[in-house]
Amino acid sequence: MATSPKTRDLARCLLDFEAASAKSSGSTESATLSVYEKLRQSLSVFAGEAAFESLAFRALTQAKSEAPGLWAVQLAEDGSLQGLGEFEPPIDIDKDLAGKFPAGEGGTILIARLLGLLLIFLGEALTLSLLRNAWPGAALDNCNSENGRKA
Amino acid sequence: MSTQKKVKINKLPTGVPGLDEIVGGGLPEFSFNIIAGAPGSGKTTLAHQFVFANASPERPALYFTVLGESAIKMLRYQQQYTFFDPAKLPDSIRFINLSQVVLAKDLGAVLEEITKEVEKANPAVVVVDSFRTMVRNPQSEMDLQSFIQRLALFLASWQATTFLIGEYAEEELRDNPIFTVADGLLWLRQTAERNSIVRKLQIIKLRGQDSVPGLHTFRITDAGVQAFSRTFGLTARKRNPPSNRRLSFGIPEFDKMLDGGVREGDSVLIAGSSGTGKSVLATQFIAVGICQGVPGIIAVFEERPEAYAERATSLGLDLETPQKDGKLTILYLRPLDLSVDETMQSILDAVQKIGAKRLVIDSLAGFEMALSPGFRADFRESLYRMIFALTGIGVTILSTVEVDAVLSLLHFPFKLVPRIQASDAGCIGLLPRNLQNVAETVIVKSAHRG
Repeated sequence: MATSPKTRDLARCLLDFEAASAKSSGSTESATLSVYEKLRQSLSVFAGEAAFESLAFRALTQAKSEAPGLWAVQLAEDGSLQGLGEFEPPIDIDKDLAGKFPAGEGGTILIARLLGLLLIFLGEALTLSLLRNAWPGAALDNCNSENGRKA
Repeated sequence: MSTQKKVKINKLPTGVPGLDEIVGGGLPEFSFNIIAGAPGSGKTTLAHQFVFANASPERPALYFTVLGESAIKMLRYQQQYTFFDPAKLPDSIRFINLSQVVLAKDLGAVLEEITKEVEKANPAVVVVDSFRTMVRNPQSEMDLQSFIQRLALFLASWQATTFLIGEYAEEELRDNPIFTVADGLLWLRQTAERNSIVRKLQIIKLRGQDSVPGLHTFRITDAGVQAFSRTFGLTARKRNPPSNRRLSFGIPEFDKMLDGGVREGDSVLIAGSSGTGKSVLATQFIAVGICQGVPGIIAVFEERPEAYAERATSLGLDLETPQKDGKLTILYLRPLDLSVDETMQSILDAVQKIGAKRLVIDSLAGFEMALSPGFRADFRESLYRMIFALTGIGVTILSTVEVDAVLSLLHFPFKLVPRIQASDAGCIGLLPRNLQNVAETVIVKSAHRG
C-alpha cells in the first residue's frame, strides 16, 4: 500500500522546512537526514531508542518497496540512516530556487512512512504534538493538501 | 507549639472518581508513593489519571518509562481513556524513556538521568513506571532500596509528588523494606470469583492522612479507574440527629398502626408474599412524599421503569409527572458484573442528584440476585453501610422483600434475620388473608422501632 497523500504532505512540509532552514544556515546536510534525525531524537526521548529503531526499520522496509532507489539505505546500530547520501545529494544552495528545495521522492516516502506509523500507533493528536515540539517554528496545520497546500 | 504553626499539607486531587474520599481528601503534596499490584490491575491507568489531573505547563509531570511495556503502545492504549488529553503533551506531561540507561548502565546512572530531567523541568509530579523492572538480578534488591531512598530524598527536596509503579504479588507486600521509604502505599488487586473479576484497592499506608481503611471496590471503564469507597463518601458528613417526625403513607388506618407513619430517617422492610401489595405500598409512600414536595428515588431490579410507572398509573398514582419535574427518579439496575458497592453508588448518586429524602428499594431479593455471584457475599455488609450512610443524612428507606406466604406471623422476622439486621430498623409484614385470594391483605406491624 502506498503512502497516503496526507502523510506525504506532512512529510513534504517537514522536508521543506528543514531545506529552508538549511539554506538560511548554510548547511549542506540532506533535508531527509535532518528530518529523520529530529524525529529520532524526539521519539527516542519518550519512547526509547529501541522503540524508535523498530519503527524506523519498518518504515525503511516499507519505503524501499515503494521507492526502489532507496535500496542502498541502511539503518545503523545506533538508529541513524546510512547510505542516503549516495541516493540523495545534499541541497545545492546556489542552484535551488527560492522556496523550492526538493528532498527527493525516496526521502519523502521514507519520512511519510515513518509518520504513517506514528499516526497508526499514536494517533493524529499525539503525533502532531510530537512534531510541533520538534519543529516549533513549522506551520504544520497548513501541511495538508486538504487545507490548501499544493501537493 | 500552637496549631497555627503546624505545617499545612496540601491535598492533591487524584483524578480518580471516588479515590479522593478514600485517601482522606486527596493525596498529600510532595508525598512519595508506591502503586503496587499484579500486571493488569490498573496501576499505570491510575498514575495517568493523577498526572492528567495535576500537571500544568508551569509545573509539568515527568513520566519515566523503564523496561516493560513499550511507551508507544502504552500511549496508544492510554489515550483511549476519556481523561487523556493529548493537548497536555508535551508542555504539561513529558514522557521520558530510560530503558537504554537501565540496559547499558546501573541504577546510579538512572538516578543521575532522573535528577537531570527533574532539575530541567521542575515538575510537580514524577512517575517511574515500572521501577521494579530496573532490578535485573536478585542481588540488586539492595541497590534498588538504596536507589529508592536517594530518589525519595531528592524528589522531596524538589517538591515533587512521586509515584513508583511496581509489580508485586500479595505476599511480597509484607515486611518489604522498600515500602518503609514510601509515604503512601496503594495496593491494587484483581481476583476471579466464579465468572466475574473483582477489583479491589487498599491504602496500606498513607502518612499524614485519615484514609478509609479496608478494601474498596474499583472498576476500570473508558473513563479510567473509578473507586467506590466502603463508606460511600458519606462518613465525613455530620449525621442528622434522630427525628421524631412521622412520615405518613397517606392511608389513615395504616398510619395509625404505625403511630402516625414511618419515623423519618428510619429504614423499614416491607415483607410479604407475592401479590400482597409490597410495591404498591412502597410506591404510595413515595407518591405521598412527592405531593408534599419531597423528592424520592425508586430503585427497581425486576421490572423496567416504564412498566413500574404504568402499573402505578393503573392504581391512580402518577409517577410520570414527578419524573419530568425532577422530583422522582426510577432507577433500573441490572448490575450483572457490577459490584454491590458500584450499584449502591448509583443509588447514592441519584439520591444526591435530586436531593431525595425517600428511597424505595424494590426488591432486596432482586437486588441480590442481580449481582454477580462474586459480589453476593458482600451484599449484606454493603447494604448495611449504605443504609447507615443514607439514614444518617435523613433519608427514609423502604425496602421490599418477598417471603413465603405460609410463614408464621410470629416467626417471619427471624427467618429474615440477615435482611432485618441490615435494615436496622423495623419491618412491616403483609400477609394474604387467605392463600387463595392474595388481593386481600392483612397488615402486620412487627419489630417496628419506636
